[in-house]
Parts: sequence; C-alpha cells; structure tokens
Amino acid sequence: MGKIEWAMWANEQALAAGLILLTGGIVGVAGQFRGWEFASYAIAAGFFVCMLEYPRSKRAKGTSVERTGQYCFTVCVKAFGPVTRNYYVRAFLHAALCVPGGFMLATVLGCVCLGIASLIYLAAAVRGEHWEPILPRKDTRKPVAESIKSPPQNPPPRPPPEIRRKQAKDVEGAAYDNPIAVTDE
Amino acid sequence: MCGEEGGEEPLHGASRTERTPVSAAAPAPCLPAEPRLWRELGAAKVEVGAPEGTMAVSVRSWLANEAGKHFVLMLWLAANTWLFLDTYLLYSTGQQYHYLYQMLGLGLCISRASASVLNLNCSLVLLPMCRSLLTFIRGSHTMSTRRMRRLLDKSKSFHVTCGVAICIFSAVHVSAHLMNVVNFSASFSEDFPDLNLARYKGEVRHKHKVTKEKKNQGFFCFRFSSVPGLSGVLLVLILLLMFISSSHCIRVCNYEIFWYTHNLFIIFYIILMVHMVGGALKYQTNTEAHPPGCLSSQLAVLVLCLCAQTWLWVSGPLCLYCVERLFRYIRSSHPVTIVTVIRHPCDVVELRMLKKNFRARPGQYILLNCPGVSSFENHPFTLTACPTENKETFGIHLRIVGDWTEHFAHLLLPQPRAALEILPVVHQRRYPTLYVDGPFGSPSEEVFNYDVSLCIAGGIGVTPFACVLDALIERWKSFRLQRLYFVWVCRELQSFYWFAELLCALHEKLWKENRPDYLNVKLYVTQKDCQQPVESFSHG
Repeated sequence: MGKIEWAMWANEQALAAGLILLTGGIVGVAGQFRGWEFASYAIAAGFFVCMLEYPRSKRAKGTSVERTGQYCFTVCVKAFGPVTRNYYVRAFLHAALCVPGGFMLATVLGCVCLGIASLIYLAAAVRGEHWEPILPRKDTRKPVAESIKSPPQNPPPRPPPEIRRKQAKDVEGAAYDNPIAVTDE
Repeated sequence: MCGEEGGEEPLHGASRTERTPVSAAAPAPCLPAEPRLWRELGAAKVEVGAPEGTMAVSVRSWLANEAGKHFVLMLWLAANTWLFLDTYLLYSTGQQYHYLYQMLGLGLCISRASASVLNLNCSLVLLPMCRSLLTFIRGSHTMSTRRMRRLLDKSKSFHVTCGVAICIFSAVHVSAHLMNVVNFSASFSEDFPDLNLARYKGEVRHKHKVTKEKKNQGFFCFRFSSVPGLSGVLLVLILLLMFISSSHCIRVCNYEIFWYTHNLFIIFYIILMVHMVGGALKYQTNTEAHPPGCLSSQLAVLVLCLCAQTWLWVSGPLCLYCVERLFRYIRSSHPVTIVTVIRHPCDVVELRMLKKNFRARPGQYILLNCPGVSSFENHPFTLTACPTENKETFGIHLRIVGDWTEHFAHLLLPQPRAALEILPVVHQRRYPTLYVDGPFGSPSEEVFNYDVSLCIAGGIGVTPFACVLDALIERWKSFRLQRLYFVWVCRELQSFYWFAELLCALHEKLWKENRPDYLNVKLYVTQKDCQQPVESFSHG
C-alpha cells in the first residue's frame, strides 16, 4: 500500500458526493419536506463541490487522464493558488460543508459521502500530496542549428583496418546467453 | 522474420494487472490477409469479389462470434423486465395488498418491483466471480462448446452489467421508499391502524401545527429506528463506496483501493439478508373472509409482515461463491518451491517453480501471493511455461513495474555486494515463501482451436503466446492449428531477448520438419531513437 495516491480516490468520491448532495437537495426542495432550507443549501453546496472537484489533479507518477472539458475548470481552480492546492484546506472545507446536510433525510447520504471524501483528503494531505493542474504540454522544438543547411564536407572517421575486420567477424559477441536452454527434445 | 521501426504509440500489455494483454485470435471464417491462404481454407468456400459472398461471410462470422453475448444480454434484460412488471402487477392488483395500495399508491409497486430486480441481480453478480468453476467449464470437453467459451470470455463484463443494474435499481428503490414514507404519513389510516408506519397524520410535512414533543420525534428518528431503515442507509453507503472506487481510472492507477473497497461486499450481503426483518409493508391474510371493499372491514383484518425473500435468491450463489473461495484457499495453501530465477533485460524476471499436482494449459494465468511482500495482495501473471510429461516446472515472466513487483524482485535476485568477502562462502539461496492460486482460464487458450490464428502482442503481453509457442515446440502436430501469425510490438530491441531462444528453436524445428510456413513472425520496435543496429536473430 506504499504508493497509493489517495487524492485520486478522494477526488472521485467528492465529485460523486457533490452530485448526490445536489440531487438530494433538489428532491428536498421539490417535495417541500420539513427542513427544506437545508435542501436548498445542499443544492448550492453540491454545485460548488462539483465545480471544485471536476478538474483532476496531475499524477505524481504516470500518465494523467483529464476529464472531458476540464481545462476551463482547471484554470479557475488554479487561480486560487495555495488555497486549492493544499489538501488540508480541502479536507476541512468538505468537512464543514457536509455538516448542514445531515439535518435532513434527503441530503444525509450526500453528507456522509462528503464526510468520507474529506477523511480521504486528510489522509492524502498527511502523505504530502497536493493538487497539480494538468496543463496542455507545449512541445518546445530545439532551434535548428546552422550546420543543417550545409552538408558535411568530409566523410566520417573510420577505425583502423584491423578493428574493422574484427567487427565483421564478432557478431555473436552481442548475443545473449540464456542459462536455461530451450530445446525441442 | 524482420524487425522494423514503427512510429506508433507503444502498446503496453502488462501482465501484472487484471487487463488481458493486447491480443486477437482471428477465427477461420473471417477474411484472411493473404490471398494464397484462401485456397487452403477448403471448408469455408469464399467467393472472391462478389459482394453478397462477402456479406454472407461477415453475417455468419458475426453470428458465430458476437451473437452469443448479445443473446445472453437480451435474455438478462428480458428476465429483469418480466420480474419488474410481474411484481408491479402483483402489488397493484393483488387482493391482499389492496388497502396498502390505497394508502401508498405507485410508490409501493415501484419499490417492491425494484426490490425483486435487485434480488435477481445481487444473486447473478456473484456467479461470474467463481473463477475456478468457470475454468473448469472452459476446460471440460463435455460442457463447453466454442460458443460457451466465447461467452465465458465476457464474464467480467456481465459482472459489471449486473453491478450497474444494482446501482440504478437501488436508486429507484430508495426514491420509491421515500415516497412511501411521505404517503404513509399523508394517508394515515384510522381504519386500519396496523397497516400504518407513521405515528400521526402529516408527520412528514408540517402542514398543520403539531405539539413540540411530537415534532422532536421527527421523521428522521423513525427512519433510523427501524431495521430496514438503518440497514437500507448502510447498504446504499457501502454500494456507493464500492461503485465509486470501481471507476476505470482508480482501477488502473491504484488497484488496491478498488480491491479493498470491493471486498466490502461481504458486509453488504450480510446486511442485505437482515434488511427485510421487521418489515414496514404489511399485507392482509384473510382475503377470503373479508375481500377488499367489504363494509365490515373494521372488524377483523389480519395483517402480517412481508416475509423476506432476499435470502431465497441470494443464498444459492453466495454458498457457491464461498465454496469456491474455500476450494481456492485449500488449493493454494501449500507454498511452491522456487527452482530458478533468471534476470532478463528491460526489467523482466523469469521465475521457474515446482508444485505438486499442478496442471495447466497454455494461456492460463496464476495468482501469486508473497507474504514477505504483502499479506493480502494477489497478483495475476500469465504462465509462460506449463508443466508437461518431460518437465514438471512451470514458469512466469514478470515485468518490474510498481512497488509489489519491485519488492518481490528485490527478494528474489541476489543483490550486488559492494563489501568485500574474505572467504568465498557458498550461499544457500533463501527464496521467499510463495503461494500460487490457480490456474485460471483465459481467452488465450483458444489459439489452438482454429486452423489459422493471428496473435498480436505488445511488450510483456506476449506471455500467453510464449506459452503457446512453448507448447508448439513439444507437440505441434497434435493441435488443430495449421498456421500461426505472430506479431510482437516492443518498445526496445532488447525486449525481444526475453523469448529469442524460444522463437529461434521453434523456427528451426519447423524448418527441419518441413513446415516452414507454419509460423510467421513479425517483430516491431516503437522507440524513436533506435541507436543500436538492427541485428538479425541468427538461427544456425
């Protein structure tokens, strides 16, 4: 379990929790249940969490796959600098956001999921992870050297004749010796 | 054999995850690539050039290859639909549910119908995970036809389909029950007090003023004080955890998170069994004496709780799964003896092992568990050499990517010692204890069952085909296979050294036995800056 990136799981969990909170809030407001004010809060909180969690972070090791159309969200989240970069902030933010959802049945599931996501973010923060934006890579081409325009005047240097003769003979020197022989017997 | 440079992205077929390597075995009816081969396929009379002929071939080919799994999917959809509609009609028109239906309406029917669909899917979802059973079915000649084996290849997709269905119908079930709770309070019945779940009318919505004391025992408390309510919330929570961590990116990047959360299914099933105890929905048992609508209904309408049906559905597959796990545990309880460890270029280690009564077919894979590295992790590796009559050892090639394989290779291989040793000591090589679970079947076993096979492999994904080639060296005449096209794409040239000897030996043997066209090998390298000269593999 050494090199798990907890932040990735926390991100998925928080995004799902945001969606569930949003749905629960809509149901609560539409049904006009007791405590529907909490439901309207849940709609706003769910929407905010979805916006915050939509852009995936860049992985520390390996290829990062970004979500469809996440570039504009990345730019917005990146603009807040260290506040969104740090996972401790996210952990406490989610913990604070989830509490009012617990007072109404329609939103209690979203509250618990967001609480779990907040715990996983805390684990990620303790391990020293942080959020990195996935930005499109700019391929820097090396500036073309001047010498490409004029072909070389002299042939490349050749080794002396004795060594050239040895290279032609010694092809098996490069072969690999497998200690267990594969035979057809 | 030739080595060419290609410019495409390298294909990473890593054997260390559950993904199958990049491979394709083309069955005989599909159009072969080379015209001279068409004459050899005497059985399939292919009309050259006529469009109807080509169409008939592709329809026949689709029927042989793809129709089976679509048929099973349709069957499963039909079963779910029938169950949903049947239960819906039972609750909306059944005499014993008449008064309950009057109280609750649509919510009752939808919640019960989705519950029966959930029962079916919770039982079906376990069946594709009984891997030893599936391997047995795949291997037995009496039970498996080619169509059945192709269906078995799709067992994981079926598991995912059932899982998604469980999630969707859980959402439907929860919403319907929320509607029921509202309706229980809105249509609180004074006539039939036993049918009620709410404590008073209008408990859910504060349409009229209630006393402070009644308000405090709110909607919330009664939901959680009942067994179905609490267990339902826990079930949905566990299901959500399992579902969210099964997404593709988490499986690919952090397989352990997926594995450990998915093992919560045990708790899920236990809670599922007790979910219906103390049920909220009741029915009338004396419908003959008091049919619905009779006016003396206040007198004696007996009510009883709904009996839990879940255990009927789920217990069969759950027992089967438990037996299978027990069998696998017993089978893998003896550690294997490690015979040889060989280091190959490009971070590959070959491991040769010995185990009593170990039988395997080419293309199968095993699960390795090394307590010295991690007690709970099982990693799958395809066998590259199966035990035969002549040699009892079996082998795997594992590529060192990630922390488990790194640690494992560190335990296996002798480390270069910088310190001087005064006396040359003969080291008794102490290998770590290793447990092997398996072997399990995979689609790669089908290579031998066709006249012509095309095998395409990327990187370390060549391992099932290496086992196939190993089996061909021993007894190529005994298989149905008449020709094998083998395409292997690697990032670096050094990677081909993993099986260079095997390829050369097989090639030479086939030449000597006058079947030079049996094996066609094409090797590709994808690395852009290929500094080393392309050397031909000499076979003389």
